[in-house]
This record gives sequence, C-alpha cells and structure tokens, in this order.
Amino acid sequence: MIARENPFRTDRVLAVRYRLPGGPGALLDRFEAMGRRGALVGPQGSGKTTLLEDLAPALRARGHRVRRVELDAEPAFFDAATYPRFVESLDPDTVVLLDSAEKLGWLRWRAFERATRGAGGLMITAHRHGLLPALAECRTTPALLHELVRELVGAEADRLPLARLYQRHRGNLREALRALYDLYAARATISG
Amino acid sequence: MTISLEIVRDQWRPGETLEGTVSWELPGAPKSVEVRLGWETRGKGTRDTKIVETVRFDAPARSDRKPFRIAVPGAPYSFSGKLVSLVWSLEATAEPGGESEPIRLTISPTGGELLLHGK
Repeated sequence: MIARENPFRTDRVLAVRYRLPGGPGALLDRFEAMGRRGALVGPQGSGKTTLLEDLAPALRARGHRVRRVELDAEPAFFDAATYPRFVESLDPDTVVLLDSAEKLGWLRWRAFERATRGAGGLMITAHRHGLLPALAECRTTPALLHELVRELVGAEADRLPLARLYQRHRGNLREALRALYDLYAARATISG
Repeated sequence: MTISLEIVRDQWRPGETLEGTVSWELPGAPKSVEVRLGWETRGKGTRDTKIVETVRFDAPARSDRKPFRIAVPGAPYSFSGKLVSLVWSLEATAEPGGESEPIRLTISPTGGELLLHGK
C-alpha cells in the first residue's frame, strides 16, 4: 500500500484526539483548584502530549493566554538571549504548557519551575511523578487501542492483532499505531 | 469559498498552466484572499509541506469571483512509496473568513504519480 493510502499515516493518526470523558472542563476546574500548577503524568505513548495540545484551546476559552514551550522545536530556548525574554514575557494571564519536562534535567527544571511562578499557570507532561502535583494520569488499555484503531479503519479493527500489538509495545499506543502502518504497507504489497 | 479549474483534470505536467476561478461569499469583507499551490508529504514520519505559488487578492469585496493563472512548477514530482507520498494541492483561503476544499493534483512529466516500488 502506498503511503498516502495508508490509514495509519501520520496526518490521520494525529487527527485522533485524546479521549477525555466529559471534555476538558472538569480537568481545568481541577487545574484551577491546584493553583494552576500541575502535571499530566504517564508513560510514553499514553497521550500526554495530545491531551496537552487539546487543553490549550480550552484554556484560551477561559481567558488565559497560552505559551507552549516545545523544546524540540525551540533548540535555542535556553540561550542567553531567548530565555530571559521568555521569563520577562510571563504575566498572571499566561499559562505555560511544557511538554516532556524531564528533558530539562533536574537543575534546569528547578530554575524553570521557579521562573514560571510569575506566570498564571504551569502545566507540564512528565513520565514520572515528582515534578509537579499530578493533574491527571494518562493510561492506556487494549480497549483504548481498539477504539482508536476502529476510528481509523472501522470494523476492520476487529480483525487486527491489537491485543498482541498492545502487549508487544508495552501499552505505547504511538508505537502500536506505527506498527500498524508497517503492517498495512506490507499487506498491500503481498496482495498486490 | 470555492475554487475551480477551467480544465477539469487532476494530472498535470510541469510548464502547463492552471487556469481557474476562485469565488467567495463571506459574512464580512476579508483582508485578503489567496490561491495557493503547494505540496505536502503523507506517510509514516514527520509531515513536510511547502507553498510553492501564491496568487493574492488584497482588500477584496465580501463576495466576489476572480480568475487566476498559475504555472505548474517543475518540481517536486508527485510520488508514492511505502513510507512517504508527496501530494500537490490547490486551495483558496480568506483571511479572516475561511478556506476552500483543496483540489488534489498530480504533477509529473508523465502526468501520473511516480511509484517508488513495484506492486
């Protein structure tokens, strides 16, 4: 199967959003109650980044400005010229969203956490507890993988080895979906 | 907001000319309307995208219809492999206001999509 016809191609997988029962309202109420400082905690491929992305528009709808910090996309973020400008730009209306906080390392994280106390909030994603109080735990299940795959390929999901894939990738749904991409690419080659 | 080509076909060769019309009817007058020809990659990895040609109409009326002409670029060609496809699209956007449904195009010397692997 050619790439543009693969149902597990990146643009289709990214269109599948986080399953948040009841929508973002209750979670953001909890965020407010926590003083607007909290972590989305979960293992790799459990949807933390997706959830963080989905909460951004909900925060804006509540009147906050949102500043997303994407360390991979901003390699110069901590440069002497860039970082002070970021800190100066923070105000009580701005909520900072930081993906993969553990990438900072402990010392830089401590400095970042202190520097953002002047902001209106700080929400992070992390693989482990301990950086900020847990706002939500992101967990996956075989049933969730099945639900997501069903969204992408319909009833065909029932015929795919999803339980095995879930186990092989230790619950990492991102990796399981990538494996399904390969499965589809190979299958179509065999069938012509 | 709609975009239409005078010659209705989806396979084009470099050097040919896309001639068409963009028409819109919006709640308010937009700052600008643009017709854009560009490509994107689709597949397993990170997506890439590039706008190659733009025809811009500044300070247009709330409702109007404008012709456009865009020369079909020489590269890159439309192609597909197992890992990545390159797909061309023609679309129109109004700022603010909306966007048209994109028209998918295939651009290559053969007129067809280049396949990077056998069946």
